Amino acid sequence: MDKGTIIETIIVFAIVAVALVYVLRRVIKTTRGHGDCGCGGGKNCKHKKPKGY
Amino acid sequence: MKTRLLDNEPIGQTVQVVRVMGDGAFRQRLLEMGFVRGARVTVLKNAPLQDPVEYMILGSHISLRHSEAAQIEVTDQTAEFCDLEDAYNGIVETEVSAMDPMADNVLRVVLVGNPNCGKTSLFNNATGAREKVGNYGGVTVDSKEGWFTVDGHKVQLVDLPGTYSLTEYSPEEMYVRTYIRDNHPDAILNIVDAGNLERNLYLTTQLMDMNIPMVVAMNMWDELEKSGDKLDIEMMSRLLGARMIPLTAYNGNGVSEVLRATMDTISESEQETMHHNVNYGTLIEDCLKQLGAMCPTLDRYTVLKVIENDQHALKLIDAQDNAEEVKKTAAEMRQTIERDYNSDIVSIISDLKYGFVRGALAEALTPNPNRESDETKPGYSLDRLLTNRWLALPCLLVLMWLMFEATFTLGAYPQEWIESGIEWIGNWIGNAMPDGILRDLIVDGIIGGVGGVLVFLPQILILFFFISILEDSGYMARAAFIVDRIMHRVGLHGKSFIPYLIGFGCGVPAIMATRTLENRRDRLVTILTVPFMSCSARLPAYLLLVAAFFTANQGLILMSIYLIGILVAALTAILMSKTFLKHDKTQFVMELPPYRKPTARNATIHMWSKGKQYLQKMATIILAASIIVWALGYFPRHEGQTPQEQIENSYMGQMGKAIEPLVEPLGFNWQMGVSVLTGAAAKEIVVSTMGVLYTGESDATEESTSLKQKLQTATYSNGEPVFDPIVAYSFMLFILLYFPCIAALVAIKREAGTKWMIFEIFYTTGVAWLVSFIFYQVARML
Repeated sequence: MDKGTIIETIIVFAIVAVALVYVLRRVIKTTRGHGDCGCGGGKNCKHKKPKGY
Repeated sequence: MKTRLLDNEPIGQTVQVVRVMGDGAFRQRLLEMGFVRGARVTVLKNAPLQDPVEYMILGSHISLRHSEAAQIEVTDQTAEFCDLEDAYNGIVETEVSAMDPMADNVLRVVLVGNPNCGKTSLFNNATGAREKVGNYGGVTVDSKEGWFTVDGHKVQLVDLPGTYSLTEYSPEEMYVRTYIRDNHPDAILNIVDAGNLERNLYLTTQLMDMNIPMVVAMNMWDELEKSGDKLDIEMMSRLLGARMIPLTAYNGNGVSEVLRATMDTISESEQETMHHNVNYGTLIEDCLKQLGAMCPTLDRYTVLKVIENDQHALKLIDAQDNAEEVKKTAAEMRQTIERDYNSDIVSIISDLKYGFVRGALAEALTPNPNRESDETKPGYSLDRLLTNRWLALPCLLVLMWLMFEATFTLGAYPQEWIESGIEWIGNWIGNAMPDGILRDLIVDGIIGGVGGVLVFLPQILILFFFISILEDSGYMARAAFIVDRIMHRVGLHGKSFIPYLIGFGCGVPAIMATRTLENRRDRLVTILTVPFMSCSARLPAYLLLVAAFFTANQGLILMSIYLIGILVAALTAILMSKTFLKHDKTQFVMELPPYRKPTARNATIHMWSKGKQYLQKMATIILAASIIVWALGYFPRHEGQTPQEQIENSYMGQMGKAIEPLVEPLGFNWQMGVSVLTGAAAKEIVVSTMGVLYTGESDATEESTSLKQKLQTATYSNGEPVFDPIVAYSFMLFILLYFPCIAALVAIKREAGTKWMIFEIFYTTGVAWLVSFIFYQVARML
């Protein structure tokens, strides 16, 4: 493999890795009750079951 | 006095309520909605299936089933047995100590009001938020927080679910009551419908008893002005002891005045003030004083609830040392009051509250004697057609068909433009970049995957524009009225209609909306059947397959998919309510909102928020999933293989081949099997996966074609076409019915528990497989 192909392969693997981490994080967040409806979860997530119900 | 049951009254008859029989929460709800002694009720019409019946009371249109109307005893409207105004005793003043509004460094104002009175519209206008609003109750099920600024003061505004009262009838009522008690807001912003003050001010009387500074915003003021009625705002403010501000929330008129009045009220509460309360008469007022002295930490509202034997209020006094003594005294007081008034305590308090409201309105409101009746308004003449016994169901189906047909016809043009744009970008990048792995990722993975989903954006926008118009006009609540009997027959609660409606957008808020159902069994049946309502994320898959394999009647084909989802939900509800989720039928009273002219602004906001959500998903989860699907379909690389062989031997291909025996009886190939698996993350990924897998198959030198054309020309190795209309329909049925996405499953877990989530995964997938299998095999035989 030439140098260019190696760099190209590294870039692609990095993109795939980032995508994989993103999907996994999103799945974990969702299973913990955040991130419904694409809000992304986080401390401002309003999709937690409110007190009283 | 001769009495009859409301159930037996003919259409057009106006009668007076004598009493509501039975006991329990449902009776209380009827009382709170205005079915108090002496109230006049008009029988408007039967639903097309003869049940429920639409009644008019206190200017509101209410839907009651025959069995529920049979609990209301009535007499002729001319009979003189009671006058609600007799119960009017004016007000009493209570001294309220100064509040420290900055106790927790946050000024907090809560929005409280009846369902569908415009709370969320005001919230959106005041805070700049874009929360969903609709012309039916139950859209907001939890609190939403936003901020507004007046004179440099930053104030937190909390939008609470709509509620008719603060009793313990339904979860949202309890939620509002608990929220106010636990969070001690600095002020209550009570929104009332100016066109229906009598019913709306009932809640105001309860809020007055809480002794919290309050501002009353009279929303839909333009409608009151248009009706010709005159309200003496100053007198009404004096009686209620609260500022009353006219408001037209949908266009923002009066919003700044309401916010300023709220700030002024908060500022005044920093000093000792006199608070106005409903005067319940000497006997009850003495009881309130005596019991109040025994429970100094409780507000007047809770003390009254203790006398009413409200279980949640009684729990609050358990912590007191003199709890037993208080309970005993309250019971004695209750008996004395009931003996004195010759009625039960709940009816007495409701009568007195409505008596106060009616008395106050008699002083402050001058009705227009020539007021146009509802029947003559344009919406209501249309209503005669839309809820006609024979035409209602055909009208509902025609409206649905028109909506789907318009989605296809109008959406086809912008779709073509986007498709050409994506194709051009794909070709341009393909030609500009040298051959290699990075080019394959960009062209086949990203553009093929995301582009395949992006092209359906116009259709999504058009469909939600139409849904928004139907919701805002008030027709959706009529649709619930039309199909209520069917829902009742299949064992569903009438309130389930709202979660189902929301379910056509997204399953997650729909599952959350089931919180408004009082009974756990009703909630479970609704939660487990909501995923059969086809959410918008599944729409791109239908649009792709219908456009590719059905040349005629595209709107009808799409509508049939939605109808099959509804049918499966109904059959599932019957199955569950006859087997493991048996339960007595729950009573239900529904308010039918007035017909309103939908505004282009609201429909555009709704459409835009849906489109934004779709684009956000595209730039995040769909993009990431497309990259992963591409990688799994690209590796491992084998030299000298054709693109078809390469993808079949990839990780994705191996995975697909492993599940192929399971999906083969349904007419699916391995690519379709893999697509439904990846759709677990989000349903749009079904299309993006197909986009990646089928783009990958094409020859790099071949002129780029759309995914639709690729599916039309896809063949097995023996040359047989992969897709035909039967396979496409079987695939759509599977996508419609199989397990919901992860977010919806988590919502089910949270609302119903892990056991039911696991049940749902197997049940929905089992049903999907069975329905697709039967359809495919039978259609092939024919």
